Amino acid sequence: MGILLLIIWLIQDLLYLIVFPGLIVAMVLVILLIYLERKIAAKVQMRFGPLYVSRKVGGALQSISDLLRFSFQEFILPVGSDSIAFLMAPGFMFAFAMMPLIFIPVGPYYSYLFPSTLTILFSVALITITPIYAIIVGWASDNKFSFIGSLREALLVISYEIPLLLSVIAMVIVYKTLNYIPAVAFQETHLPGIILNPIAALVFIIVAIRSTGRFPFDITEADSELVMGLYTEYSALFFGIGMATPYIELYALSLIFSLLFLGGWWPASGHATGLLAGLFMPGVMVIIKAFIVMIVLVFLRAVYPRYRVDQAIRSGWERIIYLGIIAVIISILEAIII
Amino acid sequence: MSDKGKRKLRGNIEGNARALATGFKYLVEPNRMTLDYPVESMKLAPNYRGFFTVDDKKCIGCSMCEMVCPPEAITMIPRVISTTGYTLPVQQGATQEAGAKPAKKTKRPVVNWGRCIYCYFCFDICPVDAFVSSNIHDLAFYNDADYRPSYEEYLKLPEDPVKKSKKVIPKPDIKRGIKYEPAP
Amino acid sequence: MNLNEKVYDISEVGSIEPEGDREIVLQIGPAHPGSGHMRIKAWMDGDIITKVDADIGFVHRTSEWLSERRQFIKAIPIVERIMLPDTVHANLAYVLALEKILDVEPPPRAQYLRSLAAEINRITSHLYGIGLFGIFLGSSTVYMWAFGDREPFIDLMEMLTGARITNSYIVPGGVRWEMPKGFKEKAESTLQYMENRFNDYNDMWVKNPVVEARTVNVGVVDRNRAIKLGVVGPNLRASGVDYDTRKASPYAAYKDIDFEVPRMDHGDTYDRLLIRIEEIKQSIRIIRQILKDIPEGKIIADSIYSQLNPVMKKVFEQQQRVMFPAFFNQMRPASAESIARVEAGRGEIFFYLRTSGDKYPYRFRWVTPSFRNLAYFTDVAVGYKLADLPAIYGSIDYFPPEADR
Repeated sequence: MGILLLIIWLIQDLLYLIVFPGLIVAMVLVILLIYLERKIAAKVQMRFGPLYVSRKVGGALQSISDLLRFSFQEFILPVGSDSIAFLMAPGFMFAFAMMPLIFIPVGPYYSYLFPSTLTILFSVALITITPIYAIIVGWASDNKFSFIGSLREALLVISYEIPLLLSVIAMVIVYKTLNYIPAVAFQETHLPGIILNPIAALVFIIVAIRSTGRFPFDITEADSELVMGLYTEYSALFFGIGMATPYIELYALSLIFSLLFLGGWWPASGHATGLLAGLFMPGVMVIIKAFIVMIVLVFLRAVYPRYRVDQAIRSGWERIIYLGIIAVIISILEAIII
Repeated sequence: MSDKGKRKLRGNIEGNARALATGFKYLVEPNRMTLDYPVESMKLAPNYRGFFTVDDKKCIGCSMCEMVCPPEAITMIPRVISTTGYTLPVQQGATQEAGAKPAKKTKRPVVNWGRCIYCYFCFDICPVDAFVSSNIHDLAFYNDADYRPSYEEYLKLPEDPVKKSKKVIPKPDIKRGIKYEPAP
Repeated sequence: MNLNEKVYDISEVGSIEPEGDREIVLQIGPAHPGSGHMRIKAWMDGDIITKVDADIGFVHRTSEWLSERRQFIKAIPIVERIMLPDTVHANLAYVLALEKILDVEPPPRAQYLRSLAAEINRITSHLYGIGLFGIFLGSSTVYMWAFGDREPFIDLMEMLTGARITNSYIVPGGVRWEMPKGFKEKAESTLQYMENRFNDYNDMWVKNPVVEARTVNVGVVDRNRAIKLGVVGPNLRASGVDYDTRKASPYAAYKDIDFEVPRMDHGDTYDRLLIRIEEIKQSIRIIRQILKDIPEGKIIADSIYSQLNPVMKKVFEQQQRVMFPAFFNQMRPASAESIARVEAGRGEIFFYLRTSGDKYPYRFRWVTPSFRNLAYFTDVAVGYKLADLPAIYGSIDYFPPEADR
């Protein structure tokens, strides 16, 4: 009996990791998001956007055809590159971008693969690992542009990690927990986090834009300066993985945002158990919220050009970090009042 | 780069809000300028400089067009014209025709479409205005040889490749810049 | 990875060896999204540019050589193809030089039509520059907007001349086609559209905080330095110099037209963006005046018209299309030399033409604005950061084929 329970528990977790909020749903959402990003930019820019692949559905299969193209392209290994690091780094990057999903619950009755009450801490810690591999990518490529791109990434990571942690700490202080489920429960009984502490939400959004390389912080891949930044020497599926990684990061950060600031599964938080009402409905609600956040962030591409790297670093140290400290102070005050 | 005379940056919040609002305005009310090309295509104006041919009756074979052609796309090829007005290549000869007067040797222009730049200088230099314009424009050939038609092929205009598409006429518009109206 | 190790010898021209441990030499181009058809060699100390060298000539089109081996009339399409965003001005500059040798004076209506075509062309040329500046700073929206808004103006040119870009509109003695019916109304609605669009450009691009942060105080060239470096066109006026060939030595119809030459004070990248928008506004004003004041009359000089044969004269009366007299084919101007100066979209074109009585030009020489602005670019980028290089490069509106000729 015990073994059976263990197997059911494992299958549930595997499904969780690979199917529902994990790999497959993430990939589907990313493919949809890339399509929507291009369509939104096209609408603002007075043109059609992707159209000719699958004309009947408005070109929705364009991203899939791109994925296929990447899969069957010739892979080129540059002569001067550090080949092991060059080949491994994108895979690690992708894996570490997926990793926070282990600790991000999408429903109140979710059982963890790694039972923990420190899920917020773990997920945020895992998010900060990905940039290390970005730096390795740039180093291994033996290309000056990749190298400059990875240096920029390193500088930006240093200047934007502290605001990220500050904004999360601010919310942790309000919710008085390091676990997502009580944090969402707190928002259900009180107010959504974005109303409780709007400045923390703003800081989190800015850091999310920065760490996923969305405009106006598209600095490491600035094409008019650095060709393709980190991925200049990459081709084929490795390039595809490199391109998808920021979107996966964006997915993880948007999930965290919707849990910490938008009330998580709030309207769909029926206290029923069972697969549909207990796991599926809250999960869909969280993902819908996260997807809206993602669309808002990709819309910025149509509005902004990019900052210079020193300006981004300066705003990180001179503005965003103070905003983070203000957010923490607000939270302390609120924690005293509530 | 002295600090003297350096400019101050304006306030950030208003600028960001206005930029985002403008982006959102175009997201909600897109003003599309591109034409859905092979499905729709433009009906070009009658004065459009497209593919052209020569009126065999009018042409006097004076070679002015060959001389003026900037990319040297026009070649004059020798022809023999019989009294019946029918044109034949020189090699076949036309004198065999029964009852015909002695044939006249002349020349006719043929355009190499691979070289032509559609400047229409040949139209303007022609002393008898023998060239005939068309507004067929969207045409490319599959083979290199197709770019150099024979005289008989040159006399027939090529077929419009986007004939079946919906024809639209671009109209300047105060709100949208260009409005594509269906052609009558 | 040792960055100073020379793994591949890409450079065949000049030394690219870095000096010391801190320096990196970046080869930006010729196959690079931010270089255009040329190679920019940038010596970097950290993130600071210490030296820039522009390696040009990748799109050299031998326009002078070709033109010296062809009849005079055949140079018109050749010069147009060097300055594709700015064809009318190249055409006009050459024809002005040729007309001085042939001693032909075009009638007033032709002068006005030349100015009209030139101003429409200036708008498209500036929009092209603004669009490329946008993509260099990373804004694909402004890139698409500017190229989209070029479209109505190109449509106007198509209506006027029958071709979109390579118009070949201006010939010695006048212009080739009369203004078609309904042109004035269409032009007016296009101009109004463009005027409305300036608000959106302001909100989205000019006053966007990111654009201001990227461009203000970047690439500053003050007045004296601009004059010393031989800068021309909008870039010169952005540095505060009041010089415009249209005012300094008026050609076409510019003597009779009332317009201002916009000028900026700081000479930074932001000013070079603003001046293009101001010039578009002035061009709109000029086009309105031309459409209002255009005199009636012939569009070709009488000395040319009188040489047309009866068929050609009939065609002119019926279709308002000017045909060429036969002597266009065999022009043999007497031995003479002439110069022409035209304010093109990117600056002043200088044209020198020398004839020897032969049917080909003896010397055909022109200096294009992009070539002059190139020296300026390599000088001004020094001391700024790597990310400023595309901003400065985009703001000078450099068009490589125009410099290579």
